[in-house]
Order: sequence, then C-alpha cells, then structure tokens
Amino acid sequence: MRKDQTLGEYLQSQGVSRRGFLKFCSATASLMALPPSAVAQVAEALATARRPSVIWLSFQECTGCTESLTRSHAPTVESLIFDAISLDYHHTLQAASGHGAEAAREAAMEENEGEYILVVDGSIPVGNKAYSTIAGISNYDMLVEAASKAFAIVAVGTCAAFGGIPHANPNPTGAVSVSDIVTGKPIINVSGCPPIPVVITGVLAHFLTFGTIPELDAQGRPAAFFGQNIHDRCYRRPFYERGQFAETFDDEGARKGWCLYKLGCKGPTTYNACATLKWNAGTSFPIQSGHGCIGCSEPNFWDKGSFYNPISAGMWGSRDALLGAAAAGAALGVGSAIAARARKKKAQAAEEA
Amino acid sequence: MTLLEFASGPGLQWALWIFVFGVVWRLIGALFLLARKDLSKPRRHNSVAAGLGAIWSRSTPAHAFEKRILFQHVTGYAWHFALFISVLFFAPHILFFESVLGFGWPHLPNTIVMVTAIIATAVLITLLIRRATHPVQRFISNADDYISIVVVLIPLVTGILAFAHVGGRYETLLALHLLSVEVMLIWFPFGKLMHAIMTMPARYQAGTAFGRRGVKA
Amino acid sequence: MSNEAMSLQDFRGLLEKLRAGIAPREMSDEERVRRAKKAFMQKLNGHRAVDLDSCLQCGMCAEACHFYEATQNETYAPVYKFRLLRRFYRREMSPMRWFYRVFTPDITAEDLQNWQHLVYDACTGCGRCDMICPMGIKISASIRVVRHGLAAAGFVPPEMRVLRNEQRDQNTLFGVGAEQLKALAARLGEQGIDVPLDREQADVMLLTTAVEVLLFPDALAANARILNSAGADWTIQSDAFEATNIGIISGDDPTMKLAIRRIVDKAKACGIKTLLLPESGHAYQTMRWEAATEMNESLSFEIVSMPEFIASEIKANRLNLKRQSNGASVTYHDPCRLSRKGGVTQQPRDVLEALGMEVRETPSNRRENYCCGSGCGEFVMQSSANLRQKAFEIKKGEFEEAGADTVVTGCANCRINLLIGAEKSGWQTPVTSLVETVAANLAD
Repeated sequence: MRKDQTLGEYLQSQGVSRRGFLKFCSATASLMALPPSAVAQVAEALATARRPSVIWLSFQECTGCTESLTRSHAPTVESLIFDAISLDYHHTLQAASGHGAEAAREAAMEENEGEYILVVDGSIPVGNKAYSTIAGISNYDMLVEAASKAFAIVAVGTCAAFGGIPHANPNPTGAVSVSDIVTGKPIINVSGCPPIPVVITGVLAHFLTFGTIPELDAQGRPAAFFGQNIHDRCYRRPFYERGQFAETFDDEGARKGWCLYKLGCKGPTTYNACATLKWNAGTSFPIQSGHGCIGCSEPNFWDKGSFYNPISAGMWGSRDALLGAAAAGAALGVGSAIAARARKKKAQAAEEA
Repeated sequence: MTLLEFASGPGLQWALWIFVFGVVWRLIGALFLLARKDLSKPRRHNSVAAGLGAIWSRSTPAHAFEKRILFQHVTGYAWHFALFISVLFFAPHILFFESVLGFGWPHLPNTIVMVTAIIATAVLITLLIRRATHPVQRFISNADDYISIVVVLIPLVTGILAFAHVGGRYETLLALHLLSVEVMLIWFPFGKLMHAIMTMPARYQAGTAFGRRGVKA
Repeated sequence: MSNEAMSLQDFRGLLEKLRAGIAPREMSDEERVRRAKKAFMQKLNGHRAVDLDSCLQCGMCAEACHFYEATQNETYAPVYKFRLLRRFYRREMSPMRWFYRVFTPDITAEDLQNWQHLVYDACTGCGRCDMICPMGIKISASIRVVRHGLAAAGFVPPEMRVLRNEQRDQNTLFGVGAEQLKALAARLGEQGIDVPLDREQADVMLLTTAVEVLLFPDALAANARILNSAGADWTIQSDAFEATNIGIISGDDPTMKLAIRRIVDKAKACGIKTLLLPESGHAYQTMRWEAATEMNESLSFEIVSMPEFIASEIKANRLNLKRQSNGASVTYHDPCRLSRKGGVTQQPRDVLEALGMEVRETPSNRRENYCCGSGCGEFVMQSSANLRQKAFEIKKGEFEEAGADTVVTGCANCRINLLIGAEKSGWQTPVTSLVETVAANLAD
C-alpha cells in the first residue's frame, strides 16, 4: 500500500467488496454503540482515511497479544485494517533489527510528531530499569520519549493496561502499567490476556472515523466493549438464576452446560465483550468451552486467589487467624471478669471492715 | 485496590476478626463473672436436661400469653425463618461458608431464596415501624435497637439488588453487600445482635434454675 | 372456729401509725449513688450478666405484667424496671464496660428516686414476666437487685423501713413477738388445740407469721390441728417463729441474713428433720431455695411448705378427712413464690380434690398465674394502693371466669390483698386459706 492511498482504495485493491466493507462498518458502529445513522459516517471516514502512523512498542510481554491479533483468523477486514495502517515500528514483526530498526522508529516519531498512535504491549519494569531494554534503551525511557510525541496511546493487553502478570505478587521487576508512567496524554486501555482482536480494530476504526478517542470506562477502557460484565451477557445465565451449577468439571451439570459459578467463574466481576464477540471468528469463548472466566481483563486478576475459588468464597484469611482472634477475645473476657470480680470483692471487704 | 477487592479481602478479614474477637470477649466476660453455687436441695436433679429443654421451650410461649403476643410471635418466626433460609440456603452464601468451614450443604433455587429475602426484608421493615410506633417498644428503645435493625436491613437490601443486578454495576453492588455485612459483623458483638449467641446460655441457665425448683421453664 | 382477729380496718390503722412514725432517710446525693452502686455490684454475678447481655428489648414482658396490663403505662414494662441496673452493669461490670461507658449515662440520685415507684409500687416481683421472656431472662431477679440498690440508697417506702428496723432490732413485726405468740398459743390451748411451744427437741419445727398471729389466728390453729391430727412430733419456737423476711422484701441483705440465721440456728438446736413453712409465699422462696446458699452451708433438714406437707400426709394416709359430697367448687390461686418460683402447684390441687371439691382453674394458672396484685409485701405500702386495686380487677376477672364458689390460696399475703381488693370493689366471693379449708374438713 502506498502512503498516499486511502484506506478505501487499498481495501478495494485487495478485493474487499463494498458490501463487505459496509458490513464491517455497521458491525463496528454497533459495537461502539453508535446510532445506525453513524454507519455511513464510519464508512465515509474509513474509506477516505489516510494511513495513520502507528508505532508499536513491546515491553515485558509474552507476545501473546501480538499473536492474538495477527493470527486471529484468515484474512478479514480486521487484519486488513492492520495492513492499512502505517505500522512504522513493531519490534516483533518488522524485518529490520538493531540500530536500523531504532532509526526507523526515531524517523517515524520525527515525521509524525503529535499525530502518531503509540501502541504498547507489555508492562514496564521500574524496580530496575535494566530488566528490560531494547537496543540499550530501557523500556521506561523509550516509553517516556515515544509517549511525549504521540497523539494518543493504546495500551494493549492487561500487562500494558494494568501491569498484568509481571505486576503480580511479588512483582520482582517492579512492573507497572503505561498509565502509571505516562500522564497528560490520552490512554486507551484495551485489557485482556490477550485482548479480543476486534476490540483493537474497533478502537482504531473509531480513531480513524472521528479523529478522537472513544468513550472510556473508569478503568480507561472503551466503554463500548467493556461496559458490561460477562455474567450479564452469558448464555448460561438462566442456570444461575435457577440455581443449577456444575459442581466439578466432569459431572452431569458440567455436561449439561450449567453455570460455572461454583467452579470459580469470574464472569460476574469481569468486564469484557467475550460473551458477545467471542473468539476465533465468533466461534466460542472460555465459558462456552466449559471453563469459567478467569477475569483476565481486570486489574490484578492474577492476585485474586485461585481461578477455581468461587467469587463469594472471599479472602477471609486463615482459620488460625480467627482462632487467634477468639483466643484474644477470651483472654480479654476473662481478664475483664477477673478485674470486675476483684472490684466486687474489694467493695465487700470495705463493707465488712 | 477496588472496593470489591477491599470488601472481599481485608474488609472481610478485619470484620471477621472483630466479630469473633468481640463475641468471645463479651460471652466469656459475662459468664466468667460466675455465681455462687446454689446449695439448696434440688427438687429435680437433671439440670442439664432442664437447661436444654428450656432452649427449645422458650421458642414456644406459654398458652396464657399467646393471645397478647400473637403479632410478635408470628413476625418473630417469619423473620427468623426467612432470614435463615436466605442466609443459609443461597448457593453463593454456601460457597462462602464452605470456604470458611470446609464443608457445604445443598442449596435452594435462587428464586425461592429471593422470595424469602423479600419476606425477611418486609417483616424487618414492619418490625422497625412497630418499634418506632408501639408505645412500649418506642419507650424502651435506644440507639442500639435501631442500629441493629438497620445494619441487618442493609445487607438484605443490597443482597437483593446485587442478585437482581439493579441499581449499579454488579461488583459495586456485591461490594456494598459485602461491606454492609461487614458493618453488621463488626456491630454484632457490641449491640443486641449478640442475642443470637446469648440465646443458648441465657435459656440454658433459665432452664437449670427453674428445673432445680421443679418448674417448667 | 373463730379466734379473735384484728380487722382489716384496724390493720390499716396500724400501718398508718407505722408510716407516721418514721422520717424520710436523710443522705447526700453522692452517698446515695455510692451506696446504690455498691449494692448493685455485690448482687451482680454471671447469671445476671448473661441476662442483662441477652435482652432483645422486644417488650413482650410488658404483656405479662399485670400493672402494665391494668394501666397501659409503658414505664411499667418490666424491661424498663431493671434499666437502671443495666446501665450500671454496662458502665462498671460488663466485659465491654470501656466501650459502653462512652455513651451510657451514669446513675444519679434522681434516677434512684424515680425508680422507687417502678420497683416498689409497680412491681410485686411476681416473676410472670420471667415466664414470657423469649430469652429466658429472669427479669424479676434483676428488678430485685434494683430494689437492693434503692434500699441501700435510702429510697425505700417508709413502711418497709420501719418493719425492717423492727425485725432487725427487736425480732418482732407489727409489735408481734414471743409474748403475743405465747398468748395466742394459750388461747388455742383453751380451745383444746395443743400448740407445743418451745420444745427442746422435735422432728418438725413450724413457723408462723406476725400477720397470722394478728389477722389470721385461725390459720395457725389450722396448722396445729393438722399436725396434731397427723401425729407429728412438732414444735413452734417463740423466739424463732417469724417466717416473714422483711430483709428479702425490702432488699436489705444484713436483715435478710439475720432473719434466716435465727431460724436456721434454732432448727439445728432442736435437731429437727423438717422445717415446716406456713402460708407465706416469700418465706418458701427464702427458706426453701435461698437460705442454704445465703448461710453458705448445706442444711441438714428438709424444708417443706404446708401444701406439700398436707399432700404427702394424705398420700401416706395419715390424715383423716371428710370428703365433701355437695359438689362445692373452688379456685386455687397460685401464689407466685410457691408456684412459678417454688414448684408447688400440683400438691394444693391434689389436697382440694382429696376433699372432694371441684377445682376450677382461672384462664391463667400455675406457672402463668396472675399475681394477686400485692406480692412482696406490697400490701403494707400506701403509695401503691390505687395501682394494686387496678391490678386486682384483672385478678377478679380471672376468678369470675373460673366461676367457683370459693377462692382458696396458700399465702397470707395473697389472701390479704384479695380480701382488701374484694372489699373495695364489692366482690362477694369468699377468699380463704388452704390450711383452714383442710382443717375445717378434718374428721375428728
């Protein structure tokens, strides 16, 4: 794709029909909770959009997010949208390496200063910045520099959005999220481990259409995708209402597809679009394949106890601590009674004297 | 730390610690004031049976009183049964108890529990209104009486809202439900909710005292 | 048989004289509060603590109280009558006293004064509330502790103070002592009723009361006749005959212990096997259930009330009775301290049935029986006269529902109050005592 080609022209040249393109636009519009009248606007904007420059930084990550996005499914409009952006720097994907690659990044930053979108996956170590470096530059320094000239930042994946697994207790590298470091720039958190691919493209489509960032929830996530919890949209919800639960992963209830609440499903407290968009081109999502939601799009999901502990089990501490509280109560009770009885005896003695 | 994380983590821990600590403190502190040994010759010797008998018999008032306390009797039973079913037979609650006690028990369908929870709430509100209006109850009531009703009422209401997903995001409602339960747990040993624990020793000692004299407690 | 007895009218005159003869107790407010607190502290133990910590404030106890029922005055709710003690407990003795003290007001002399009406005039200590409490709280026991505190603080009805002083200092009550008893015994002897006074050794020691000597000499005569008829080896002691214990009624520990001690020492000196109590509810409660603990010793003799004694004598065929065949009906009024506080409910009914009488129960009976309206010595107090009369109306309604020819009771205190109440409200049904009813039917 040439730099001066519009997205519409590019898609047409790649064999995407007008009908297919509009279908994508209306799906994107509805995902982003825009009115039907906005479909034409989305289509118009996307068709005429110039390729925006995107710089993609990968820090402490497992490449799962990139894998999720690039290998999600065979050529679709979503993947083509990725082809349509000017991905000027992607550490994992690009052919160039070493100083050549860094030179490309610096050139792109200069050329598109204040206009490019910075995508980050992975968390940033601040305990000792040397834990993760690229071409001798620490993640921290690279992020601060790249963010300062970006239009907006998309934190892809739970690591970039909330610190993720590197941030989990005991957090040996002192890993933090993008928003812990960058201030003064719009940050869109697209959390998930990994995030749903269409959510990324939806956010980019929104940006291409309106030139702004979408409405965000309290966690800085696009409200259109993260506005509802899995439990509310789960097809197994009626079983919850009726009190029909799978007790183990291979019992009758599990085979009948009953609610996985008792097996630790975090659906009620997890906000993501899995239950509606699903994965692998809308094929399935974890609950549908028989495993409870682990809440991967929520902050600190790794530190909320076992994935298999029911939500209501609570982290009530240990039985020993409760016994300790009981022992302390007993000691205070006995002590207060002895003191009261001593006063009583003293009063009696004074009476008799 | 989110509200729910606080409510289901440190909030819950502290509330349980204070609850256990306070209950044991108050119970042991009262019992340990001790009493002189009764040296009179008992009319009946099996005081343990008499004590245990009273734990049961005080749930059923004597015939002569029934007419005058019918309202309190009926609402008292309705309240406690509805509360116990709602607390003890709701699947998510059982999972919580199982995590503390190490064993669980069968649950009731959520819809039934919802009905009992609504009954419990309605009865409790009725009792609150009665306390504020009945001449004797209004006169003898102090802050504890109202606080104790309110701290039980709020977990019921937030529980129903969280179940029905009405009035806020689920984890917010769940957190409020947990927090209100924690407030209740913390208040429990200091106020008259403690009666739930004291019932046994109080009735038992009445049973042994009356039993000694050959009177049905 | 009719012995010369003082009329109720004259008895009221006597009480009037007692009342006039004593000035209110002077004491500084600080001293009153200090004394009350000390008394509260001494009487509070684990049992009271569990009770005070259990209260739900449900107010059901009011529904069991005849004074509340008669007046609908919410301050008469039994739970409120011991509120003062609970305040003290919470501030000074409770395991959580450091917490409660912050918002529980301290006791003032004014509080003490206010509570005098509640625990003396508006409570007979009958313990009906104890039977309704869903928590099993012995409400009357806590109210009794409040009486102790008020007594120590000098807030005692004047009649009770006079009588307490008299019993403590003179060993007499209403001026009745050894001389008066000897005179009555001599009178009875003239009628052919042997009253073995002051024997050195005996199996059975009978007590009586100044009230019997003054108002109901026939009751003493009946007791003597029953004992003689049963062939008992018995005595009555002129210096330790008084079963009434003003100490326990007024809430004064030293007097209570002194009165018990006089009897126990005498009983031991006479080597008795059985201490026989006359028709006095609180004497039964005191001697049968509290004396041993108060004296801190296990007593070597049995302590038996007249209804129990008569019932067992009938069972053993030692009493010859005439069975009535005219179908006379009676209602037995259970004295609180004999029934729900004493465990004697079946024996008096057995006795009446053995006499061939039809026993008709009031709607509330036995452990749930309504108080006569003046238990715990209330009949001596002028301050509660109107309240007592209102409560009596409830009792009257119960009796009318039972519809028996005669009301029989086993306590002189109940008897006086029922007679006074009947007189004031023009109620005609005769009220008599169990022992007199039995004595009247002895086959000679």
